[in-house]
Amino acid sequence: MNELKIEDLTCYRGENLVLKDLNTKIKSGETLVIRGSNGSGKTTLLRVLSNFIKSYNGKILFNDQNVLEDSNYRYFFNFVGQKNSLKDNLSVKNNLKLWEIIYQKNISYSKLLEDFNLLHLMERDVASLSDGQKKCISLLRLNFTESKIWYLDEPFVFLDDENSQTLIQKIKNFNTNNGIVIITSNINLQNIFTNEIKI
Amino acid sequence: MFALLKRDLYLALYSSSSFFYTSSFFVLVLVILPFLFGTNDVQLQVLFKGIIWIGLSLSILLTMERIFNADYEDGNLDIILQQNPSIEVIIISKYITHWVVYCLPLFIVLPILSFLFYVSLDSFFLIFLNLFFGSLGMVFIVTFVSALTLGAKRTIFLKAIIVIPLFVPFLIFGTNLESWPILLALSMMSFVLSMYVSAYGLRLYVE
Repeated sequence: MNELKIEDLTCYRGENLVLKDLNTKIKSGETLVIRGSNGSGKTTLLRVLSNFIKSYNGKILFNDQNVLEDSNYRYFFNFVGQKNSLKDNLSVKNNLKLWEIIYQKNISYSKLLEDFNLLHLMERDVASLSDGQKKCISLLRLNFTESKIWYLDEPFVFLDDENSQTLIQKIKNFNTNNGIVIITSNINLQNIFTNEIKI
Repeated sequence: MFALLKRDLYLALYSSSSFFYTSSFFVLVLVILPFLFGTNDVQLQVLFKGIIWIGLSLSILLTMERIFNADYEDGNLDIILQQNPSIEVIIISKYITHWVVYCLPLFIVLPILSFLFYVSLDSFFLIFLNLFFGSLGMVFIVTFVSALTLGAKRTIFLKAIIVIPLFVPFLIFGTNLESWPILLALSMMSFVLSMYVSAYGLRLYVE
């Protein structure tokens, strides 16, 4: 059983107080939705949790160990931000190849693309894809690591109903396998994921 | 480090125009010279020693956006930072890739250009050494400027204003054929400065 605990988290960006005395915890098999208006600090919170931002007050504990002191923490999570991490001038296949190298994991591209019914896009240049298609491909990065936590920053933006359902199913499957998911969202997802905090 | 190095080299291979554009640019800068100054052997040899440095400087300067900024803008920098615990390892990998992708092609075409400009074998060897050590130092310089200006958009002119004065010592000593030890020393100093400042720039981005 894994547990992620946020204790008295306060974070400044420049002189602006973005996160103030945030406390919450989340266990294996749960999904937490972070809601808030634009600029409320949702992305900052995910970047803090992912250790990209290290200057903050308070503690983030994963299985009672401070994530700032745990050199293995980076292997435990997968972060998919709002940027797609795709090279526009390359084909989808070549982008997957680059991820395969950096994540050092061999994976079947066809099987991967079938997740979102994107097999027909394999040889297409990323520049020619729609924003929704790019978003789906960026979400395929979740398959490249055996992580215990997924941090997803606005994952439903640009997705149509069918792909949103596919993503929801992937999140639920990950929860079933004891994974922890933290999602930021502008839209109300309470009818799907009940665990929600507002910042 | 090897995963990042391999990834960057594959990225350059997939965008194969990178190799082609920089070496073509370098060749074109040199080839227009005889049209401007005539085909006098001695004059061309003198011009060649100077103009190869202009070509090299421009090739390195114009490609500096690709060191960190391209990965920053599309979000790949987050993946790189997550997968590589040491920022220093990332910087060293970027040095190697940038030199291999944007400088090595210039060294491949250099013998042909030297032949076209009537450069003797002895002079060619010294020019080659000068360019080799100088190009290393120049790559170190553009890397730290690129890291420091990470996230700043459309700032190629600002970057050029910062970089060009730092290139001047390389250009001064580069045109003197016997000065490769000085260029080596300059490159070593640039390396120390670059490691420190690039790491600071990347940490600023992370923080």
